[in-house]
Amino acid sequence: MTSPWKLLAAALCLSLMSPACTSKNRLEGYLYQRLNADPTTLDPAFIVDVTGGSIAAKLFNGLVRLDPDLNIVPDIAGKWDIRDSGKVYTFYLNRGVRFFNGREVTAEDFRFSFRRILHPLTRSPNTWVFDSILGAEEFMKGQTADVRGIEVLDAYTLRITLRRSFAPFMNLLTMTAAYVVPGEEIERKGPEFSFRPVGTGPFILKSWEHNTELALKANEGYFAGPPKIRGIIYRVIPEDLTAVTEFELGNLDVIAVPAYEFARYSRSQEWQGLISSGRGLNTYYLGFNCSRPPFDDAALRRAVAGAIDREKILATFYEKRGRIARGPVPDLLRQWDAPALHPYDPAKSMAVIDGSGIKSRVVTFYVNADQEVIDLAEIIQSYLKTAGITVAIKQLEWSAFKSAINKGEADMFWLSWWADYPDPENFLFPLFHSSNHGPSGNRARYTNREVDRLIEAGQRTPDRSLRNQYYMKAERIIAEESPWVFFWHKTDFIVKQQQVKDHRIYPIYTIDKGTGVSF
Amino acid sequence: MLGITLITFALTKALPGDPVYSMVGERSDPETIKRIRTALGADKGIVDQYRGYLLLLLRGELGRSYYTNRKVLDDIRVKVPMTFMLAAGAMLIAVPAGILMGLAAALSSRVRTDRIITGVSVIGLSLPVFWSGLMLMYLVSLKLKILPPSGTGGLRYLVLPALTLSLPAMATLTRITRTSVNEITTMMYVRTARAKGLSELRITVVHILRNALIPVATVIGLDFGSYLSGAVLTETIFGWDGIGRYAMEGIMKRDYPVIMGCVIVSTLSFVLINLLVDIVYHYLDPRLRLYGTDR
Repeated sequence: MTSPWKLLAAALCLSLMSPACTSKNRLEGYLYQRLNADPTTLDPAFIVDVTGGSIAAKLFNGLVRLDPDLNIVPDIAGKWDIRDSGKVYTFYLNRGVRFFNGREVTAEDFRFSFRRILHPLTRSPNTWVFDSILGAEEFMKGQTADVRGIEVLDAYTLRITLRRSFAPFMNLLTMTAAYVVPGEEIERKGPEFSFRPVGTGPFILKSWEHNTELALKANEGYFAGPPKIRGIIYRVIPEDLTAVTEFELGNLDVIAVPAYEFARYSRSQEWQGLISSGRGLNTYYLGFNCSRPPFDDAALRRAVAGAIDREKILATFYEKRGRIARGPVPDLLRQWDAPALHPYDPAKSMAVIDGSGIKSRVVTFYVNADQEVIDLAEIIQSYLKTAGITVAIKQLEWSAFKSAINKGEADMFWLSWWADYPDPENFLFPLFHSSNHGPSGNRARYTNREVDRLIEAGQRTPDRSLRNQYYMKAERIIAEESPWVFFWHKTDFIVKQQQVKDHRIYPIYTIDKGTGVSF
Repeated sequence: MLGITLITFALTKALPGDPVYSMVGERSDPETIKRIRTALGADKGIVDQYRGYLLLLLRGELGRSYYTNRKVLDDIRVKVPMTFMLAAGAMLIAVPAGILMGLAAALSSRVRTDRIITGVSVIGLSLPVFWSGLMLMYLVSLKLKILPPSGTGGLRYLVLPALTLSLPAMATLTRITRTSVNEITTMMYVRTARAKGLSELRITVVHILRNALIPVATVIGLDFGSYLSGAVLTETIFGWDGIGRYAMEGIMKRDYPVIMGCVIVSTLSFVLINLLVDIVYHYLDPRLRLYGTDR
């Protein structure tokens, strides 16, 4: 090789080998995390995804929030009282809480924020969070100019009156949709508020390079005390293996352990001590279309449940990354005993299936085009084939899948439900009440008047133990009638770098304000 | 272009799936769904929707994404340069390497060299990009720690995705160049040039390579054009914010304005690249000139 060529090669090597691939070009004091997709919006009125919600939790605050043990604790409201059998809520706001633009938060801001979500022109998908407020329905229909049930008593006192008692209401106020936003910024920025949000939270949006990187910096003036880190960098990395590579190079501080890497990490000497787990508030299930044959027959649904060895699938295929579900309500929320129903009993199942006439037809099983779900669907298909049921798996990408199951096209479908708020009601009312067939949550199209009555009674009962009685009875009937095959509640696993301290997984993303973690 | 908008519009609307269901999340009441559908204009007839889209195009706009509410044109303005950089990077690797390897395979007096190069090009063609990309990342980033595995920034971030994307094109170019050069080497005018006592270098470059480049230019144009429409897998693996990933996400979410915008931009770039290839033909092959001659 001639000398100019050697020089050129050396220059190229040097330029390529500079430390961009290592952790040396990181911002000091910043926590590097991965997002698998760019958040669609950071405006609380429009957030419906976990990605956006987990970031919004660090930028905004509400009246109340959840602590790690799922208790409702003060956020901007320092205290509150609940009167009139859980119909009237009065919140007393802390003074001196400021938006990033320097203006103090008042009760009027909460009125504005809640009213904005209900306003027909906002077209928020989160209206259901506030539709139990007195006058909300009339306001949403454009019949009134204001929401009667939201009153500003003075600059720091807000009163909310509900149409009727609704026990989970305080839980609803912990959701991202209930975060306070400054009206003047919404007016000034219009749709841009989604990408340049102004909140009150422990972090401020520093930059957002869409689909690449989103940076938050610590809000030193945060009313509950500044974070222990300088900021958080979220890197958008769609591919799991790329994220794992970035993590192992030290370019990410924390990642969720991908399913196919779980065995390697949990056996690795280097990483096993740095893995932590958290029980998620979710339920994974196989749903039946209960509104038409063949699965309008509860005995047949039970037979299908008994034909699938869920324990074995969880232990082998799912590598024990979850807990067996005994009903729709996650173990973390259930404060009553739930018996294990429909155990694996192929002989008993086959007897029912033989007499049902289902053998003469093909059952459609809709799944979304996720490889793990497809693999699982094939396992279920195999169990049901053994039991005498021919299953045709139909893979659809997410949008088409949701559209199909919302319309009730499938005989069976695979889905999961993740808590919006930590109350058993969130796993009963949207999913099993007959008023919620289709996109409202009850995609199994299950109808049982007694279950409806029990859920409604639970919603109206402020007393927790009595409420739990209603929920327990409703869940027992549901588990017995088996509109779903209850599979498991997924446990989340994360792995972190050695230097990251006090990083936890929370059952609901809104709990994580990012103020506990440090280096 | 009008035809493309019509076909794309009809096809996207014919797809199963409804963007509104994805927009509203897992729990929504029929009233909210109706309100959002009205806001998107999805409650209107398909002809009205298409007319509305054409009017938007006439105003020089591509609409806003259903999900992010950002202007599609603004997003595309960011992503097109990224895609162009990746496509150009891939072609910068693939073209010289492919042509040189093709030439070497064709002109080598050793059968072994030809076989090795041909074998390598078959492997290059057969390897799926997601596999070669991940293998390159594993080797170069994780094990050798030479290049970053993902992200955007300087040249270092471009090398791995560009190399990954270049492999199939490199293999195709090697094979096309080899076949083309082999064919031209047997032509009478090459024998004549040799008889005239011209140097081997001049014969190779002026008489063989120049003529062999006509089919090669076609392949370069086609590959470059398709890369400009986006390289979904490469962009996804390396977290490259290009038009391919953008279009794919749009398709998955049924984000119609994004899908339409991407198709229009891709069609435009494909047409432009083909025009460029036609211009290159003009220089490479005098027979294709429609007027005059410089000889």
